[in-house]
Amino acid sequence: MKTVIRMVALSVVASACTIPEPYRAPTPPQSVPSSPGSGPAVNQPEPTPAAVPEPQPAPAPVREPTLSPASRALVAQAQAQIAAKNIPLAAASVERALRIEPDNALLWIELAKVRQAEGNHAQTENLARKAVSMSINAPRTQSAAWQLIADSYRARGKNLEARDAQGHADALKR
Amino acid sequence: MAVVLAHGPTLKLKKFRKQLLIGTALIVGIGTIALLAWLLYLDRIVTKQFEGRRWTLPAQVYAEPLELYAGQAFGADTLEAELQRLGYQSVDNPQRAGSYRRRGERIDLMSRRFQFWDSLQESQLISVTGAGSTITALTDQRGSEVPIFRLDPLLIGSIFPLHGEDRVVVAPDAVPPLLPAALKVAEDRKFDTHHGINVLAIVRAAIANVRAGQIEQGGSTLTQQLVKSYFLDNRRTFGRKIEEACMAMLLEVHFEKQDLLNAYINEIYLGQDGGRAIHGFGLAAQFYFGKPLAELQLHEIALLVTIVRGPSYYDPRRHPERARARRDRILKLMADFQVIDAKVARQAAAKPLGIVNGGSNKGGYYPAFLDLVRRTLQRDYREADLTEAGLKIFSTLNPLIQSRAESALEQELARLEKARKKKVPQKLEGVVVVTAPQNGEVIAMVGGRQANYAGFNRALDAKRSIGSLVKPVIFLAAVESGKFNAASIVEDAPVEVRLANGKLWKPQNITKEFAGPVPLVRALSQSLNLATVNLGLAVGLPQVTQKFKALGLKQEPPQLPSVLLGSLDVAPIDVAQLFNAFANGGFNTPLRAVRSVLDGAGKPLKSFALEVTPVADTAAVFQVNQMLVQVMERGTGRGARAQLPSGLVVAGKSGTSSDYRDSWFAGFSGSHLGVVWIGYDNNTPTGLTGASGALTVWSRLMSGIATTSWSAPQPETLQPVTIEYASGLVARPECGEDVITIAVPQGAQLPVKPQCESGLRGWWDRLVH
Repeated sequence: MKTVIRMVALSVVASACTIPEPYRAPTPPQSVPSSPGSGPAVNQPEPTPAAVPEPQPAPAPVREPTLSPASRALVAQAQAQIAAKNIPLAAASVERALRIEPDNALLWIELAKVRQAEGNHAQTENLARKAVSMSINAPRTQSAAWQLIADSYRARGKNLEARDAQGHADALKR
Repeated sequence: MAVVLAHGPTLKLKKFRKQLLIGTALIVGIGTIALLAWLLYLDRIVTKQFEGRRWTLPAQVYAEPLELYAGQAFGADTLEAELQRLGYQSVDNPQRAGSYRRRGERIDLMSRRFQFWDSLQESQLISVTGAGSTITALTDQRGSEVPIFRLDPLLIGSIFPLHGEDRVVVAPDAVPPLLPAALKVAEDRKFDTHHGINVLAIVRAAIANVRAGQIEQGGSTLTQQLVKSYFLDNRRTFGRKIEEACMAMLLEVHFEKQDLLNAYINEIYLGQDGGRAIHGFGLAAQFYFGKPLAELQLHEIALLVTIVRGPSYYDPRRHPERARARRDRILKLMADFQVIDAKVARQAAAKPLGIVNGGSNKGGYYPAFLDLVRRTLQRDYREADLTEAGLKIFSTLNPLIQSRAESALEQELARLEKARKKKVPQKLEGVVVVTAPQNGEVIAMVGGRQANYAGFNRALDAKRSIGSLVKPVIFLAAVESGKFNAASIVEDAPVEVRLANGKLWKPQNITKEFAGPVPLVRALSQSLNLATVNLGLAVGLPQVTQKFKALGLKQEPPQLPSVLLGSLDVAPIDVAQLFNAFANGGFNTPLRAVRSVLDGAGKPLKSFALEVTPVADTAAVFQVNQMLVQVMERGTGRGARAQLPSGLVVAGKSGTSSDYRDSWFAGFSGSHLGVVWIGYDNNTPTGLTGASGALTVWSRLMSGIATTSWSAPQPETLQPVTIEYASGLVARPECGEDVITIAVPQGAQLPVKPQCESGLRGWWDRLVH
C-alpha cells in the first residue's frame, strides 16, 4: 500500500509539473478579402462581393449568469475547503456543481479560483478562458474571468500579457 | 517416526522372517514419514494460503451517484426506478437504510451510509417532492431544505484477477444473521461442533445416494466445501476426498469457526456470468438481487443458500421452478429447526424469487467500461493493487444511459440484419461511446453487440477507417486559416493530385456527380468529397494533419491527400476524444472514466481532476458547429430528425469508409456526445453508409435520454447573415431560395445574389443611416 501511495504522490507531482502550454489558434483577420480566383479551390461566382455590415442589427441583451441553489451550496462548500487548504476536495465540489450546470460560466470561474489557490496558473488561465468563451453577453462575469487570466499571467511573470488581459477586464467593468 | 528393529534367534527361517519384518517396518516407516510430510505440506498450504487470501480484495468500481436537488429534471417515476435499480425496497415506513415510501409525487427514502471520495455520508431520511418531470423540493427529517443530496452509487463491478473470479468481500458485521443459520440448516447442521468432517453425515449421504441411484446429498461440511473451493480443483476422486478431509481438519485446528464461516461466505462459488465467476454472497446479492447482502430478506437469503448447492442446477434465471422448490424446502427446514417461526417461513415462501433484470445484462456488468477503468488505473497502480488492495473506484458511468446505449445498439443491429436481403454468415458488430462533452467524462461505453461479454473491446481497440468523420477537422483548419468562413464558396469539381509515388489520385463523390460552387456549410452537410479535397489542398495538408493532433488525436496522421477523404484508422474512443473538442467549444479535455480512488481503509488516494486546454479558435469552432447543425437539418444526418424530439438542436457528422466497410456517426447535443460505429470484425463490406447504419443507433439513443439542445453564445467577432443553402449567395429571406442563417466573421466579403442585392443594400442602408 505504501508503494501505491508513493506512486500516486509522484504521479500527482509529475502531472502538476507537465501541464502543457495552452494551444493558441491563429486569430483570423477581421475582414476577409477573398479576391476571385485567389486559390486553386476557390472560385468566386459572378455576383459582386459585399461586406457584411459591421454594426450589429440589435445588440444581444446583457444576461449575467446566476447559480442555482444546489450549485451555490457546493460553491460555498468549495470556498470553505479552499480556506482549509484542501484543494482536491474543493475541486471535487465545484466539479459536482459543473455536472449540474456545465454551461454556467460562474462555475468555471470558481474552478479557475481553485487552481489559482493551488498555484496552478496555466490551468487557471485555461479554465478562465473557457469562462470567457461562455459569457459573451455577460460583461460582469467575463470581466471576472479576464481578471483571473491577468492574475495568472502576472503570477508567471508574463507582464505584457497580463496588462493586455487586465485591459479586457477593466474595459468590461465600464 | 522410530523404526522398530527386531532381534531374534539365528535360525535361517527366523532370519528370513526377520528380514521380512524389517522390510515391512521400513515400508511402514517410510510411509508414515511420507504421510507426515504430506500432512505438514498440507498444513503449510492451509495456513499460508488461507491467511494470505483472506485479504485479497478486488478493487470495487462504482457508477456515478445520482444527484438530487430542486430543479433536477426528473420526476417521481424516474427516481423510483433509480431507487429500485439501487435495490431500495418499497415499504410503508422507511426506517431501514435502503428503503423508501412513495405517495403520489412524493418519495421518502432512508439513504444508505456511504463513504464517498470526499466525505462520509450517514444514513438519513430524505423527502423528495416532484411535479411532473422535475424535482421541486428536497427536505430532511426536520423538514429543512436540503440544497443537494447524492444517493449511494451503484456498484458496477470489480477489477478481478485474470482467472475470472469476481467477488465483493463482506465484513462479518455486514452479514445478516439469518444467512449463517440457513447455511448450517441446509448444508452442515453439526458445523458448530465438528472438527472439519462429519462422519455420520457422510455415511447418511452415502446411503441416500445408493438408494436414489445418483448423487443426491453431499455430506461435506462447510469446512470441506471451503477447502474444495479454496485449494482443490473440481475432480471428484477418492484421493481428493481424503485430501479435502485432511485439509478441513487442519483448518479447524488453526482457525476459529467464525473465521471459517466468514471465509466461506466470501469464497463460495454462486454463479457464472460469461467469463466472470460469481464468488461470495456479497457479489451474489448484487448479481441476483441488485442490493447489498445486509439488506437481503429471508426469502432472498434462502434462495442464495439454494444456489450454493448447485449454481448451475439451481440457477434461478434458467430454472426458476426448481430453485423455488428448494428455496421453500430450506425455509421449511429453518422453521423445523426453530431458526425462524413457521408463520414467517410460510410468508417468505409465498414471495416470488425477486431476481433483478433477467435481460441481456443481468446484474449490471459492463466489461467494456470496466476495461477502460482498468486501463486508466494501470498507469498508476500495479495489477496486484487493483485486484487485491480493496480500492474503491468512483467511475463516471451513468447506468441509465449505459442501458439505453446497449439496447439502442442491439435493437438497431437486429433491425438492420433483418432488413438485409442477402444472408451474411457473420454478425454485424457495433460500438457506442457516450461522453459529457464539458467535463470529458465517459458516461457509457458498449464494446460490442453482446454488451455483457468480456472479449475484444472494440471501443478501445478496433482501429477502423473513419471516412468522412475527418471532414469537420479539415473545415476547422480551413476556417481557422482565415481564408474561409462558413459561407465561403468552394468548388465541388474534379480534382487530380500527383502523389509522391508518381501516381495520379482522382477522388470522386459518392454520387459520381459534381455540385459546382457551394458554400462551406453545404459542402460539409452533404459531405461533398471533391469540395473537401479542394478545400484541404487550399489550406495545406500540414495545417490539416496538425489540427487532428491539436484536437486530441494521439498521433498526427500522415500528410497524405487520402487523409482528406478519411483514409485514417481510429478507435471509437479516440473519435470521441476528437469530437469532444468540437462539442466542448474548442477546448480539449482528456476523456476520463475514473473520478477518484479511495484506498482500502477509506482514505482518498487520487482524483483525476478536470483540466481544459484551448485547442482551437472559438469563433472558428462555432462556425464549424453551425455547419454540423446543418448536417442534421439538411444534410446526411437529417434522417435522425424523425426520431428526435422536435426543437432539439443537435450537431453531427456521418462517416462511411470505402466499400461500405465502416458505418460511423459522431454527434452531440448540449449535454451528450455520442459516437457509434457499425461494421464486421473481419472488415467485409456492410453495404451501410454512416446515415443508414450508425446514425439510426445514434438517434435512437439520443431520443431515449434526457438531453439538452446544443447552444453556444455567438462570439463577438461573428455576425449572422442569411444565405441560400444551395448557392451560398447572400439573400434576403423572402428573396432567396431555401435560405439559412449562419454566423460569419464581421466584415467578411460574401457574394450577393443579384436579384436580392438591393434587398441587402436596403437592409444595410437602414442600419447605417
